[in-house]
Amino acid sequence: MSETFRGSMGRKVVSRSSAKELGSVSHLLADSQQRRIAAIVIGQGKKAQLADWAQLSGFGPDAVMVVGEDALRPPADDRERAAAGGDLDLVGKRALSERGNELGKIDDVTFDADTGALEDLLVGDRRISAGTLLSSGSYAAVLEEPPEPSP
Amino acid sequence: MTASQIRGLPVVTVKGGEDVAEVRDVIYSPEEGRLVGVTLNKRGFLAGRSRDVLPAESIHAIGQDAVMVHDESSLVAPQDAPNEVGHPATERNVIGDDILTEGGTSLGKVADLVLLVGSSGEVVGYQIDKIGGGRGYIPLPAQLSVSGVALVVPNITEEFVQEDLVGLGAAVDEFRARMGLK
Repeated sequence: MSETFRGSMGRKVVSRSSAKELGSVSHLLADSQQRRIAAIVIGQGKKAQLADWAQLSGFGPDAVMVVGEDALRPPADDRERAAAGGDLDLVGKRALSERGNELGKIDDVTFDADTGALEDLLVGDRRISAGTLLSSGSYAAVLEEPPEPSP
Repeated sequence: MTASQIRGLPVVTVKGGEDVAEVRDVIYSPEEGRLVGVTLNKRGFLAGRSRDVLPAESIHAIGQDAVMVHDESSLVAPQDAPNEVGHPATERNVIGDDILTEGGTSLGKVADLVLLVGSSGEVVGYQIDKIGGGRGYIPLPAQLSVSGVALVVPNITEEFVQEDLVGLGAAVDEFRARMGLK
């Protein structure tokens, strides 16, 4: 099932093993090379924790299920700390072609809730395949040139 | 686009989507008619002059909104850059130079460099401040010699002075054909 980054924000995160609510989704960390979601971020600020995609038993419409409370971990490196702070959020990021031309801001990103694979980037009124994504950092998401707008 | 439009552009990595520097100025080789590199300023809280330079060979693309490089290793210390980039001669700055024809007519002064769109720094013409006032454009390659205060161009350049950038595109091809270049 297709989900959106925007629609996933604030969704509650529940432990499958204890049925406890652990918090809510604050950010999604995308792996631009693999074009998929690498991890979800739960909570804000210094208390923010990550759960790798592999530690989810389901990304459902009502709750994101993690296998257990021990699936949550603190950020492990600079990139994950930046993600926990929201600096790497794809939504709101400028989309830059590899030729150095700005295509607009990313309004939303769709992904496959079963696999975590990114599908499309919504930039203005354009829908650009996530397959064109080359990288994303704190400044920009870099896309292949020319980006193929889907019908 | 022109050289002055490149100044201040962020330098962004294709590999990481990070802005690793911004362009302070372009380093131009009048003899070769191309940018050989750019000098840099730091970004963010550390803003200010950077010692590093970016050789043209390491530029992935120059766009309207950013200069793209592969990754941060494209920025190098001057001593690790080609000599023309690491230690550019000051007389290479042609901005403000008089443009004189071989016959001794002044066409104006160089105001800016016009770059081939989508290239990594090929200069195809100059924007000029005309003698009588107003802006114009002349195609390159044109000059026969460069001194640091003046450059000398063939007499026929006078026929190719354009009012706008759109006109320059066509003029470059025709001019080069007349000059027996490609």
